[in-house]
Amino acid sequence: MTELQVQQTDESSPNAEELSSWLEKVIAWGHADSLNTWKDISLHSSRLKDFLQQLLIQINNVSSTAETMKRLPLLGQFLGRLCWNPHVTAEGESRGLLFQCLWALYSEHPSNAVEREANQWIRKVLCQLATEEEDGAALALMKHLGVPSKEYHLKVLKRMVTIMQENIGNNQCSRTQGCSCGSIRAASEACVPLITCPEASPLIGALLQQPVTCFRDGLSENFLDALHSAYSRRVLPLEELAVVSLWYHSLPSLEEAVLRLLESATAAGSTPNKIEEQVTNSLLPEACAQHCSIFLVANDIFRTVLKQAEKNECVKHVFQTFTKCFLRELSHLQPQTSASLKAFFPQSPPSLLLPLLTMPSEMPQEALKDHLMWVSSLIQQLAEEEEEEEEEDSRNIRGHHKVFEAWLLLVQCGHWVQVAAQLLVTSGPEDCAPFLWLLTFYHHPTNRWHHRASQLVQAKAAWDHLCGLFSVAGHPRPADRLQSFISLLSAKPRQPPLAPPLALNLMVNFAVFGQLPLSTSTEMIQKVVDQSGLWDESTRVLGSLRLRLNDRGCVANDRVRLRIEELRNTMTQMINRSSVAAVTGEIRDQLCACLNHHLSSSDMSVHVFVCVCVWQTDSDKRYRAMIEFFDEK
Amino acid sequence: MLNVCLPPSGKTCECGQRHMEAVLRNVASTVELLAVAAHSDVVSEWDEQTAGRAFHWARYCEHIYSRFHSNHVIRGVLEKQLQLTSRGLKEALPEYGAVTLWDLGRCQNLLLLRLLGNPALPVSLLKMLFETRRSAGVTDGDYDDVRGLCGRLVQYKSACKLLRHLPGPPALGADAEVQGEMLMERLESALSRSGDARRAEDLLSSVLQELDGAAPGLCPVIAAALLTTAGSAAQIAAQDFLLDWLQSRHGVLQRVCSGLPSRLLADLAKRHRKFRDAYCRLLKKWASEMEYGISDGEWVHAAADPSVSFQKMTHHFLTLFEACPSLRTETEDELRALKVSDGGFDVRGLSVWGDLLFALSP
Repeated sequence: MTELQVQQTDESSPNAEELSSWLEKVIAWGHADSLNTWKDISLHSSRLKDFLQQLLIQINNVSSTAETMKRLPLLGQFLGRLCWNPHVTAEGESRGLLFQCLWALYSEHPSNAVEREANQWIRKVLCQLATEEEDGAALALMKHLGVPSKEYHLKVLKRMVTIMQENIGNNQCSRTQGCSCGSIRAASEACVPLITCPEASPLIGALLQQPVTCFRDGLSENFLDALHSAYSRRVLPLEELAVVSLWYHSLPSLEEAVLRLLESATAAGSTPNKIEEQVTNSLLPEACAQHCSIFLVANDIFRTVLKQAEKNECVKHVFQTFTKCFLRELSHLQPQTSASLKAFFPQSPPSLLLPLLTMPSEMPQEALKDHLMWVSSLIQQLAEEEEEEEEEDSRNIRGHHKVFEAWLLLVQCGHWVQVAAQLLVTSGPEDCAPFLWLLTFYHHPTNRWHHRASQLVQAKAAWDHLCGLFSVAGHPRPADRLQSFISLLSAKPRQPPLAPPLALNLMVNFAVFGQLPLSTSTEMIQKVVDQSGLWDESTRVLGSLRLRLNDRGCVANDRVRLRIEELRNTMTQMINRSSVAAVTGEIRDQLCACLNHHLSSSDMSVHVFVCVCVWQTDSDKRYRAMIEFFDEK
Repeated sequence: MLNVCLPPSGKTCECGQRHMEAVLRNVASTVELLAVAAHSDVVSEWDEQTAGRAFHWARYCEHIYSRFHSNHVIRGVLEKQLQLTSRGLKEALPEYGAVTLWDLGRCQNLLLLRLLGNPALPVSLLKMLFETRRSAGVTDGDYDDVRGLCGRLVQYKSACKLLRHLPGPPALGADAEVQGEMLMERLESALSRSGDARRAEDLLSSVLQELDGAAPGLCPVIAAALLTTAGSAAQIAAQDFLLDWLQSRHGVLQRVCSGLPSRLLADLAKRHRKFRDAYCRLLKKWASEMEYGISDGEWVHAAADPSVSFQKMTHHFLTLFEACPSLRTETEDELRALKVSDGGFDVRGLSVWGDLLFALSP
């Protein structure tokens, strides 16, 4: 379980020269014991581990220990000295490598004096390491008081950690008396090998959370690097507060955390509920609320991702959830003032900040319509201004900077887009324009080749269709009306289709907030989703609608909630039925193919495993389908 | 784990007798196991399970020790059994080293030492013992698994070495603190059960003997023990006992007062009246042993070991007065009386008391 995977490298095996230069270094480390020595050791730590790894490979490749000792005569000295260097033995990975080298040198059946001596020496070193006590007083007390060594050393370690933790902030640096501090730097340097040691984690946490008072006494670079490396390998035992401090100090760790969140939140099968849970559990919103700099970095990462993936509804949704959670945490911390908002959103158009960052739940229902019209007009103005500038000065390569930032802010405050969709259900032809513009802008932010005009026309057409389809008037719903709506979703010559999420979003809102009986609405949605294949999108829309209405302060009556629940149930059943059929069919095909190639059973299971991995969802129906298949065969 | 029932009176009942016999048998077997581990080739056939069982029995002995070491009736019985088993083993294995009752408390370490010293131990067991744990975030301080036992030991020891080198607050340090607490614990239990102080007395003497000559010796431990917060009556009694013992062992007291920093000694004096008095007495004794060297113009301590300089002694006095201000007037009065008895001259070099008074004046 703990044997490191020894990889085959193409590098030449370490030679005697390299070993002798390493030995010199190790001897030097053993002589001095200052901050500089510790720094040097930490600096060389990963290279040393690589070297030990190479040595291990070579020792394993050579037939006998006697042969190894002939090629590398200094090996014994080197390994021996490393055994007594606490920087190497305190850290798990280097200790493991060192011991493995020793064991590799051990000969089961020694055939000559060299090997016998080597065996004896290895046993002696290991015995000394485990049982020797430097402190005479400690040993005497342990013996006469009958205290086991492990208990004693663990107690001393924990006590040291506690004492250091309590004393960390005590060395105050005073300008007048000259700076004599360096204790934090020294402590962080000494703790580099202890980063993955759970018993030392309170100390590591305290070091991270220590406020930086003197610029000369910050955390050492090696410390932060080692922390980041352990964090990305997920072997860092830190408490929540300490993790936030880690992000504050170490930019790579913060980036890693944000990317990890994006990855897990956009994985297949993420429902809006799950996404919100993941975002909250990631601690990032809290961290962002506490430190403006963390928020700016996270925002930047989202911005970069979205620049390349405008149409990715999943990422947009994660960004929106993230901002929502962040604003919630911020409101817990301090009363919101427009000045502090500017600090968090320096690149967004200032006129849009307050209107968009206000939550719909903080306004009376009647005011929502006017508010949205105002927001829509603000953004429209910005877009028109920028397009004028572009036309005047075609050399302006800055691009649609302001409009992009406005769009980004709109994505972050996506709840307003949802409100717009909801309002479109009840508005008439005279006031639907601003909301339609907002919706279109949200889904098609760039106005490449001036397509926005035609997109607006399409959006209006879709809305018209939906109004007609969902009106309560008794006349029969012609099937072709539904068909023409569906056709809007498919590509046409010479113009891009209307964004399917937009149309679907509108349709779902009509179904939920409209007055039509639920069964009819459901039937229509089913037909649309069936033909266009947008199951995931529809469940996502329903899910986020549900979440928004469950948010505190949102007024929604029971009828609406019921309709949402019913729709969700129908959607989920539909999805399961159709996807299981599709998936089962696919699994059958694949497994048939395997059988036909007469693969062995182990390969079969590998293939099956691969199949399962490919469709990562949490539906157990797939497993049942597979079991059925196996029963048949 | 075996649950030995013993009525509070200490007399063993019928089932208690049987349990006691079982315990003695198990302890005897484990001692035999220790001998096998050290000297026998049988060890070469041990696998992980066997080793696990061996350490399990060693843990059992540790448990028996911690439960009964303060009960002098059971102690006696256990010691007798150990002697019996040792005699038998000595006949079989002439190189056998006897196992005392204290050793039972560190049985796992003893087993480890013997196994590691036995050349017949298979390499696979060595590897298993020194394994490095991979899972992070699991504090296995209470983890008793034999797998990785030595790896953990090495890790803790190395981590302590690393942290020990950092400049810390000017106090005793984690080692002394933990040692002091351990000492207090044992003293407490030694005094509470048996009632007579002999056990505790023996304990301290044996430790002292072992440490004699080993620097820094017992001093930081005693200081740390006396500085632990004593809440219960038993703890207070234990500290009292230690103080009395310290006063009776003049040599140790001298070493404590000359080896430790003044601030620490002042803290001790503040906490314990007995120590304050003994400390004061000692300082005055040192002063009385001083002789004036005319060539250097300095007072020099005549006694050889431990010797204290005039400055140091003055510094001790001053720090003491800081911690216990009430002592100043009292001591100054005494010194003045002594100065008078020396003639009462205000010339430097004539009376150590006069010079001392002068040095102590603000």
